[in-house]
Amino acid sequence: MVEEQQEEIKTKNNGEEYLRVENLVTRFFTSKGIVKALDGVTLAVKKGEIFGLVGESGCGKSVTATSIMDLIPDPPGRIISGSIYIDNYNILNDLPKLARINVKSETDVRVKRNKRLIKRHNFVISKIRGRKIAMIFQEPSLALNPVISIGKQISENILLHNRVEIANSIIRRESLTQEDVRNFYNEIRDTKGDFRPLVNKWTRQYAVPVAEDEIVNILKSGADSALTLKELTEVIMGKKRGNELTHITTMRDYYKREEELFELTLKLVEAESKNEVNNAAVLEQQIEYLSYSLKKDFSSFIWKRRLLGKRFEVVFEEEARRRGIELLTLVNIAEPGRVYDAYPHELSGGMQQRAMIAMAIASNPMMLIADEPTTALDVTTQAQILDLIRDLNKVTGTSVLFITHDLAVIAEMCERLGVMYAGNLVEEGPASELFNNPLHPYTTGLLSSIPRADVKSRNEIKLESIPGSVPNLISPPTGCRFHPRCKFKMDICAEKKPALVEVQKNHKVACFLYSKEVVN
Amino acid sequence: MELRYFIIRRLLLLIPTLLGLVLLVFFLLRMFPDTYLVARFVNPKSPVPISVQYANAKAALGLNYPIFIQYFFYLKALFTGQWGTMSTSIYTGSVLKGIELYFPATIQLALFATILSIVIAIPLGTYIGARPNSVADQTGRVFSLAFYAMPVFLLGLLLQLLFGQNVIAGNPLGVLPIAGKFSFNAVGAIPPPWFDPSTGLTGPTHLPLFDALIHGDWKLAYSSFIYLILPVVTLTLSLLAAILRFIRAGMVDASNQEYVKTARSKGVPESLVIKRHVRKNALIPTVTVLGLLFAGLLGGVVVVETVFNYYGMGILALNAVINVAIYGVLGTTFVFGVTLMAANLIVDIAYAFIDPRIRY
Amino acid sequence: MVDTTVMQAKQLPVKKRHPKLEDYSHTFRLLLKNKLALVGMIITTFYFIIAFLDLVFPRYLGVTNASNLLSFSIPTAVTPIGPSFSHGLPGLLGYTEFYSHQYPLLTISLAAIKFDIGYSLFIVLIGAGIGTVIGAIAGFKGGYIDEILMRITDVFFSIPFLILALAFIFLLGRYIIMAVYALLIVWWPTYARLARGQALYIKSMKYVEAATASGASTVRNVFSHVLPNVLSPVFVQISLDLGSIMQLFAVLFYLGVISDPYFPELGNIISLGQNWLGAGLWWPVIIPGIFILLFTVSINLLGDGLRDVLDPKLRR
Repeated sequence: MVEEQQEEIKTKNNGEEYLRVENLVTRFFTSKGIVKALDGVTLAVKKGEIFGLVGESGCGKSVTATSIMDLIPDPPGRIISGSIYIDNYNILNDLPKLARINVKSETDVRVKRNKRLIKRHNFVISKIRGRKIAMIFQEPSLALNPVISIGKQISENILLHNRVEIANSIIRRESLTQEDVRNFYNEIRDTKGDFRPLVNKWTRQYAVPVAEDEIVNILKSGADSALTLKELTEVIMGKKRGNELTHITTMRDYYKREEELFELTLKLVEAESKNEVNNAAVLEQQIEYLSYSLKKDFSSFIWKRRLLGKRFEVVFEEEARRRGIELLTLVNIAEPGRVYDAYPHELSGGMQQRAMIAMAIASNPMMLIADEPTTALDVTTQAQILDLIRDLNKVTGTSVLFITHDLAVIAEMCERLGVMYAGNLVEEGPASELFNNPLHPYTTGLLSSIPRADVKSRNEIKLESIPGSVPNLISPPTGCRFHPRCKFKMDICAEKKPALVEVQKNHKVACFLYSKEVVN
Repeated sequence: MELRYFIIRRLLLLIPTLLGLVLLVFFLLRMFPDTYLVARFVNPKSPVPISVQYANAKAALGLNYPIFIQYFFYLKALFTGQWGTMSTSIYTGSVLKGIELYFPATIQLALFATILSIVIAIPLGTYIGARPNSVADQTGRVFSLAFYAMPVFLLGLLLQLLFGQNVIAGNPLGVLPIAGKFSFNAVGAIPPPWFDPSTGLTGPTHLPLFDALIHGDWKLAYSSFIYLILPVVTLTLSLLAAILRFIRAGMVDASNQEYVKTARSKGVPESLVIKRHVRKNALIPTVTVLGLLFAGLLGGVVVVETVFNYYGMGILALNAVINVAIYGVLGTTFVFGVTLMAANLIVDIAYAFIDPRIRY
Repeated sequence: MVDTTVMQAKQLPVKKRHPKLEDYSHTFRLLLKNKLALVGMIITTFYFIIAFLDLVFPRYLGVTNASNLLSFSIPTAVTPIGPSFSHGLPGLLGYTEFYSHQYPLLTISLAAIKFDIGYSLFIVLIGAGIGTVIGAIAGFKGGYIDEILMRITDVFFSIPFLILALAFIFLLGRYIIMAVYALLIVWWPTYARLARGQALYIKSMKYVEAATASGASTVRNVFSHVLPNVLSPVFVQISLDLGSIMQLFAVLFYLGVISDPYFPELGNIISLGQNWLGAGLWWPVIIPGIFILLFTVSINLLGDGLRDVLDPKLRR
């Protein structure tokens, strides 16, 4: 069944890109000089695929990931230029306007930030993070907040992004009528074969999944239809909480309007980046009006929420708790109820990483960045976590950008692969192709430095390491940054920087051995 | 819940610390020569020979026993309330009674200052710490450093100069009284029975503000409140400055942690990142130094009492030192120690409350 | 199966990092970059120069010794004269009454700085020396020695510093030198704890284990490995404590616990000048107050800057 689903997803997406990074340049302004951490990285991750990113430590893999999430700590770091398309929206649309960077010398850089625009940028990006793209970090013990329980950290994510949906399902539950149950029963009678998926879907929609097992049992018992319907009605109606609906409706409307505000802001930023002055002015007016009316129409709600705080959201938190425990079950955590209330330090590293994954997928993002998720774990746990990520990718069709320095893991996990060196993507292609036919001298060196029994290297070279080490990125080598360590160095390598070009089908490489194309 | 066991364990740990404290006080006592300790019991005019009197007194005080037996005697005396007597310029009588009369004023100053500082420091520190190197941050740093580095007596005198009544002629800000606990004008011609004009102390709590409120004497309550302002503000400013420095440092440190990145990666809005994820972690290092800061505050209370003539246990201790009243010194030192122990206990419980990792 | 180049990088032997001269010069350069710390350093240095000049070449400041201050006094005036230009350099900051004589605040404050800095330095350095060595040995040795030390410091920390100082002054006698001893007794546990914590950390490092395995004695270990590494946090603590001790010293004088009435000390001067506050004269309190404040603020700035620079986490 899983394979079927996967096939379906594959054909549906058909190589459509979910994430596209173009010419990303990220720098860090430190007291010792400017670290040119990323120097024009270009890569793309398709829907539903696992894309691997490899390279030595310090080559910019993590910086790439952090840049994609727009989490580069500022100061000292900043994204200088480039574009990052997530689900066809460029999150760096307003980048040039956010800050003016005045480089006086290597160690003296002044950054003048536009606070108002940065605030707007943060508002937009905070809505994109979590719901479109999520991240799993290398060291789960550091990445989980030590003073907040696991459950609170997961439900925080659910409550941030799924409020409208939760509110809707609660409203549906509370306004369930006997008519609805009858319709549901009729529908089930009409389905041929397994009725469980339908039950599952329906209970979720009406926020009564606690009743799922009971419903299935009643349906299985095969009593006559009148009795079954009566029992069903009893069970389902018994799950109502009797919540005050006006509250929840107001909340839903409020959050809906907030979403509209976000959509408009998104459009505004896009219009501004395209210099559509009139359009932007109209949008700006709309936003102003909407935020004004939001404050006016919901003033009593806002005040009540401010005064009552958490108590106001108990209904939502109950639902979030239920979903959180479900997520923990999904990531194979035993005793999810206990773990939900536990604090991070009470869990083992593997459990922490599972919780971390549960947290990342809580708001159903279609893309997951995994930044060396298994490096801090022991080998057996490592395998389990890798399996988990792969299963998630298969079942939900979530794309994964998988970052690691471990080539064995990459070989196991990824469909496509990118090799990074000193802030550049030097080679990209299908994993099998890259392993069997590495083109860039760095990739060749990297592969030949691993002892492998299963794959025969092209040149039958002995196990060896690449001479030299990763260059200091404050004053990186000119031209191709790999040339000082390269066996096939040519004169041009020190002068010009090679572009990443497709030299074979789906196989791109940035090296003058294969093309004469130049970046600068 | 685990927190309960933590508290019980922490309470049990109080016992050795308390014994250590008694040991220190006992050590202070025994460092004095025997002749000095028994001098009170020797009467040169008595027909009994002085050497005999001396020996008797020594026996009566238990000074002939081995030192550790003496320690237990001292412990017993301490816990049965036999703290000796003292004779100083402000108070003469039983040490225990003196502490009962003057300790409330001290703890009142300390508590008011602590509560005010914490209530102000947490939101202010959050605001400042979330914006490192901004204008607000720089201003906050300069002020907190100045108040932190200023000796408390200097701060008190400065406030007296700026806001003290009749200090600088024609100063429009000079409206607050600078010395005493309340104005005697507020008491009225016939003092109420709960007021003792000879000592200036009120009953039953010995705190004029609360006593007046208990007895419904609004005029005296108002007067006592006005007289409290400057001493409390002095202590608050100096404690606030210190707490603010720690919260700010904690905020800056916590915002660079990995879990803050995680929070942002989940799409938590910036304001919630600060409130939910950074602040709680930033308070942990602050709480750990709170005990130390409270120790400094108790020292500050002694100074403030002197500057503002606000009679409390600090002045009592000071007078005991100056008037060589040994039991007075021992008693007040012990009570100051116990107060600090209690404060540390509360701090530790607060710590366990904030940081779940500590409970195990 | 693992990327070996990475493995090689990770398996590099952990090198013993003894502080080197270039390290210090880099630290110093970073410190110079921190403007606030630089200001703190300049002012602090200025104070030390004054104290040094007063001690060694007092004539440059116009003072020969403390008792000679009398030559500057004006016994006749009833109320201290305020700051003005009409009384020459010494009268620039005004006069104060000091035991029935009037002294120029500038002269007496400069004389007081010498004593304040001298005694604070003495207390902090000796306290740091004793505390650090005891703490380092206890932390490194562990066992019952460590346990006893921790219990002793616990007791010391269970009484407010000022109260403990008062108690020891009471025990030793109300003289300046006894106050110095009292503050020494009060202060060494701070350093003992600091050094102990650091020693525990260093003890767990591989290179110390290696030294122990190759037969280095405890004393040798403590002096060659632990102490050099404890030094930088202790140094930061010293710079921060210098201000605190000066404050505490002034407080003891202000409270009248120390009965050397003619001793020119900033707290003492303020305490006496306070009598004029009722008459609306601010300078007898404010001028010496500024001298204390300026020193404590600048030494704190320097200490904060040092901590930022020496903290490997903040050092970029």
